[in-house]
Amino acid sequence: MSPVPRDRGVLVGMMSLEDDARVDFSLLRAERRAKVFSGMEIHGLDALMLGGAGDVHYVSGARQLGRAGVLPFAPVAVVVGETGRVHLLSTWDEGVPPEIAREELYGLSWNPANLMAALANIPGLRDSRRVGTDGLTPMFARLIAELVDGGELVDAAPVMATARRIKTPDEITCLDVASAIAESALSALEDALRPGITERELLGIYYEHVVRLGAPTPPSESVCFATPSRGPVRYRHLALDRPVGDGELVVLAPGALYAGYEAALARTRVAGRSAPPGAGDLASQCGRGMDALLAVCRPGNTGAELYRAWEGSGNSDSPVPLAHGLGLGAEPPVIGLGRGSDAVLEEGMVLSVQSWVAEEGVGGCLERAAVVIESGRASALTRYGRL
Amino acid sequence: MIPGLPDLVRMRRERFDRLQEQLSVGGLDGLVLLGSSAVTYATGAAMPAQDGDRAALFRAVAVVVAGESAPHLYTLFADGAPTELHEDHLHGPLFPDLDDGMDQFAKALSGHFSIGARIGIDHQSHAMLRGLSGYDWVDASGVMGAAKIVKTPDEVACIRQAQLLNELAMVDALRALRPGVRQIDLSAVFLRRVFELGASAGGIDPIWQVMAPYRELGPWTLHGDLAYPTVTTDRFLRYGDVIWVDAGIIWEGYASDYGRTWIVGANPNTQQLGQFRRWRSVVDACLDILKPGASGLQLARVAIEANDGVRPWIEHFYLAHGVGTDSAEMPLIGTDFGEGFDEQLIMQPGMVAVFEPVIWEDGAAGYRSEDIVAVTDTGWVKLSGSTYDPYGFAA
Repeated sequence: MSPVPRDRGVLVGMMSLEDDARVDFSLLRAERRAKVFSGMEIHGLDALMLGGAGDVHYVSGARQLGRAGVLPFAPVAVVVGETGRVHLLSTWDEGVPPEIAREELYGLSWNPANLMAALANIPGLRDSRRVGTDGLTPMFARLIAELVDGGELVDAAPVMATARRIKTPDEITCLDVASAIAESALSALEDALRPGITERELLGIYYEHVVRLGAPTPPSESVCFATPSRGPVRYRHLALDRPVGDGELVVLAPGALYAGYEAALARTRVAGRSAPPGAGDLASQCGRGMDALLAVCRPGNTGAELYRAWEGSGNSDSPVPLAHGLGLGAEPPVIGLGRGSDAVLEEGMVLSVQSWVAEEGVGGCLERAAVVIESGRASALTRYGRL
Repeated sequence: MIPGLPDLVRMRRERFDRLQEQLSVGGLDGLVLLGSSAVTYATGAAMPAQDGDRAALFRAVAVVVAGESAPHLYTLFADGAPTELHEDHLHGPLFPDLDDGMDQFAKALSGHFSIGARIGIDHQSHAMLRGLSGYDWVDASGVMGAAKIVKTPDEVACIRQAQLLNELAMVDALRALRPGVRQIDLSAVFLRRVFELGASAGGIDPIWQVMAPYRELGPWTLHGDLAYPTVTTDRFLRYGDVIWVDAGIIWEGYASDYGRTWIVGANPNTQQLGQFRRWRSVVDACLDILKPGASGLQLARVAIEANDGVRPWIEHFYLAHGVGTDSAEMPLIGTDFGEGFDEQLIMQPGMVAVFEPVIWEDGAAGYRSEDIVAVTDTGWVKLSGSTYDPYGFAA
């Protein structure tokens, strides 16, 4: 909020330490901005008009309303190189960090003509010759072209994806916190898991738990599924009302967000006391696949190495990605499902890595972890015991 | 006639017919849809609710080809595909946000459309702008808006069911309200309960905004009017706080919209009850004239008149909005589209409107609730409940 919150009620909460020992968010935001402005200079972009939730979060640091799903492109944040300023679509200043001044906000409009009029008032935007966006619609392509009369609309990804790919130490701390929230949620799910409970009830328990911890928006509601010990086993994403059967292997996959940063975690557990015959072998196969993937998550390796490691540990094509980037939500690259062979891993990238194996007559087993690529190896951000 | 519970197969078929009709009206060869709610509308696909960039990277894609009898769905979430969707219309995921995904996307489209086809689209990544050439892309919003604005009886039944689950879960949240509870504590109670009751997905982080008694004591705004809605935190709720609650969940692809005013640890006083009665009289004034043929402008005018000439809604919002696969969609009444727009907006049977006027008395905060109605052949039917605890009951 800028410069001080007018509604003092927002101050009446407990999530900070009196010595500011935790993440220094003003430094975090300043470092992100510096990377964006330097990227704009390198790639010759005069302005950015951003609509993607992660990009808007990255440049603005604003605490915005959590919404599920993805909307078509609209300019929610504007970055102008000449002035060095970030402008944000927000009708009020609560949730807006102090470095974005009140005059740098533009209001919610239903009428695109009014939105464009507000954007036209942003100093330096209309004179921009090269404007990066993170998406377009046919309508906004026309309206923005008119706004920056004669300016060229280009892809903002060389700036934004590059800035976001390598994490700063404070970003890693945020991911550590998110990881701890996910671990806490996994403990809550483990405690609640028993034959007869439904996936929907487990989803409710997950929500209750992460929300009370102060992380009210989950990265995904795909947080658990039971796998059948008879018949074909498929990876499922949506919670069912069917009671979990005694002895079924159940995937518990609670993610978490902290300040927008996403942690990914999954383990598989048995509901009830006795695991189905073959569960031990399946868990070992899952663990081997995971270890093989983690062993090749090293700087300089490509997605192709992950494919080879996966196949080399005796697995066939996975119906889910082997790995994808993490940061302010899910990020490129996607390695798996036929994509990402050429993606190069770099030191400082954070990945969600997962091993999913299934066998008819036994069930399925998933292990997923958030890892940071360090020099020479991958280091797990999420920690939890295996099956 | 609104069924007690929807026939989902019939609903999806009728929605698809509407899209086909609008494609024909607009002279389009098809649609390629990337936005979550648009994909839901076109295909009936269920997908787990996902946050921002995760929802984008792993988005489902819908392709509607003019003249075909069913949509094509490209998704990672095969378990969310409608049962009646034929195997040859259900495909693996596309990655429209990745250059790495364009060979696959281009190949998929070439199976549906010939070069030069005129296709409606709702979002384009730069990878798509680079990698999908040869088509005449136009904005899909015309087709989508025209199809979505009038609901089928099954769609109305979905909204009513979503609203019922939302309201039932709010009974528990209201019961938990007392001094010292935090905003996130209310979210925790509400979300757990609403999933137990059968919600398909959450839609939006629930809002429990404390309204300062004076505008000047609330968050600073660009327009000088109220800030609403602000984001839930671990803020403590304290004795006497006036809270404007707003929450929406998803059931079978349809959004609910719950709005009520609560007070922490106290019953409403005489002035607050007066605010509620005024809110009720504004909504009743609208409902008195709501029927097919009424215009948005007429509704806005009677609402203002019932509030003694003061516009009873926040400047950046509206008197009423529609709800469907999006939590706020057409018909919008009282927005910055202006009076000309409202005048052209004529209510028709099957439109759903969420009336959410705001009564404000500077110094004593105010009252806000939401009433959802569907327009019928002769008037309207209410889809939201009629308890307004702790302020009372009104039909």
